[in-house]
Amino acid sequence: MSGWAVEAENLVKKFPQNKPTHGAGEAGGKKQRPWPFGPRPARTWFTAVDGVSLQIPKGEVFGLLGPNGAGKSTTIRMLCTLLEPTSGMARVAGYDVIREAGKVRQNLGTVLAGERSIYWKLTGRENLEYFAALYHIPPEAARRRVDDLLERMELTARADDLVEKYSTGMKQRIVLARALLARPPILLLDEPTLGLDPQAARRVRELVKELQAEGHTVLLTTHYMEEADQLSDRIGIIDQGRIIALDTPAGLKQQIGQKDAIKLEVAGWRSEMGGALQQLSGVERLATHYLGTDSLWEVSLHTDDSRAVLPGVIERLGREGARVVNLNIAQPTLEDVFIHLTGKALRD
Amino acid sequence: MTTTAPLSPSLSRPGLAAELRALWVIFKREWLIFRRYPSWIVALFIWPVIFPTAYIFSARALAGPDGGGLALFTQAAGTPDFIGYIAVGTTVWMWQNVTLWTIGLALRNEQTRGTLESNWLSPTWRFSFLMGAALVQGLQLAIFILVAGIEFWLLYGVRFHGHPLLILLVFLAAVPAIYGLGIAFASLVITSKEANNFVFLVRGLVMIFCGITFPVSVMPGWMQAIAAWLPPTYAIHGIRNASLNGADLAALLPDLIPLTVFGLGWLAIGYLAFVWMERRARQTGAIGQY
Repeated sequence: MSGWAVEAENLVKKFPQNKPTHGAGEAGGKKQRPWPFGPRPARTWFTAVDGVSLQIPKGEVFGLLGPNGAGKSTTIRMLCTLLEPTSGMARVAGYDVIREAGKVRQNLGTVLAGERSIYWKLTGRENLEYFAALYHIPPEAARRRVDDLLERMELTARADDLVEKYSTGMKQRIVLARALLARPPILLLDEPTLGLDPQAARRVRELVKELQAEGHTVLLTTHYMEEADQLSDRIGIIDQGRIIALDTPAGLKQQIGQKDAIKLEVAGWRSEMGGALQQLSGVERLATHYLGTDSLWEVSLHTDDSRAVLPGVIERLGREGARVVNLNIAQPTLEDVFIHLTGKALRD
Repeated sequence: MTTTAPLSPSLSRPGLAAELRALWVIFKREWLIFRRYPSWIVALFIWPVIFPTAYIFSARALAGPDGGGLALFTQAAGTPDFIGYIAVGTTVWMWQNVTLWTIGLALRNEQTRGTLESNWLSPTWRFSFLMGAALVQGLQLAIFILVAGIEFWLLYGVRFHGHPLLILLVFLAAVPAIYGLGIAFASLVITSKEANNFVFLVRGLVMIFCGITFPVSVMPGWMQAIAAWLPPTYAIHGIRNASLNGADLAALLPDLIPLTVFGLGWLAIGYLAFVWMERRARQTGAIGQY
């Protein structure tokens, strides 16, 4: 058995996709009748995870950071045995996720993103007692554990209310308690703060730190860069199914060295302006993100010398009919690392 | 940076007792949720009466004002008690129907509720989730039949003459076939994401071919041949024979034997369909999709 809490080697997951079969198509000038009256549509494959390799030592908080659709959740689903990898190998707590799936599930607590993974027509306590039995916890130990977790999640007073009467934050605390029931050495938390208000999200982050202090290994996926930065010992940046960088948060930021990250809020932005700005001397990477209010766009760019570059950028935007309404020059964040590596914003 | 705090071992203690406890809590959970939707009580009292009523009045009309048509019915059906005859047939039809809607949709309901994945993340044997649903359905069925029997007795004056244990024996013999079909159906629904058409097909077949309101012998030969391959045909015939004609065990064997054979077959098909679906879901991610 290896010493890693989580280990993956060249993990690949492909999903089959049928080509659209709406109506008759044309092939070689001849009309094709749709299946089942014509030829069966060719099967294509969508690669969600494309050769992910990682090794997480015991006791580490490892952050998997990437935009929506990057392959974070698919990776988590393979590690927690819900999905079978197309190829590659993964071990959790030393157990193979395919051949020893039962052992993996005994040693794993998982919170999946956006799931309604508890029963709203049961009380918080009934939910935890139910899942404690599913995790094969003996009855006496289960009763104590449920009481402890309700206390820890500050839900004791509402433990006997139906979950449908809970707030979103309280539901997420029950989901976290469910993941902790069997006291698993490894926790997979897929977007654990998604949809929570700032206060509830902060409580979840505190909990992750507490769990690490207690000796749990945590694999956390998020598309919130501050969360990954704050919580993770190491971060893997994932994009299009591949881990494109893996280091400590500080190490990742050092990859773009002493560069300045300029963030402009621009009114009247048009996509062709991006090309015009990138032609300016000193502008290295550029990414845009629609802010959703008053037709404002956030334009992020990297440069070695913001003082030299900024006047030209503002002048060029003005000439193109756009207006800079706000600007900020900062030290690089993980978002800037992502822009530097991929040329696009994390929130796209 | 990694911490070195010693972590207490996992509390998970797998074993047969733990699996049985898991099966018990799945049953308990289903029952608790069922109880928290009180509309089921209304359905429980209304359906046993409403469904056979139309058939009973049709039969009365066809029998004529003096009941002259009953002689032909008695000759074909082996009993003059056409109300009891219809009551048994419609009760078995409702049993098959409800089984498809409950067991058949048990996993699909978990899927749409969002709880299927969290259940499958646990180390519990995955087939237990269907078995727990089947046990709750069994309890619901027992209550349903009890209520139906009382209502038929009070409202229609139906009197059952057979030995209760023999009636129960035919019911039990029908359980594996009816539930096996439900389990196979549950597995297919997870991948097809659609249930209605299949439920309508099966209950239509049972309604037409299995003789819920008429003797199978009145159908053309080719329809009788199809009926011989449908387990509810034997369940309906056997329960009628036991409850209305007071048949003994020997007289019930022609129904009990095929029911047992069909039951073993359908249970095997149900389990294999589940294993196939479980593997396919892991390959395609189907259980997380709506």
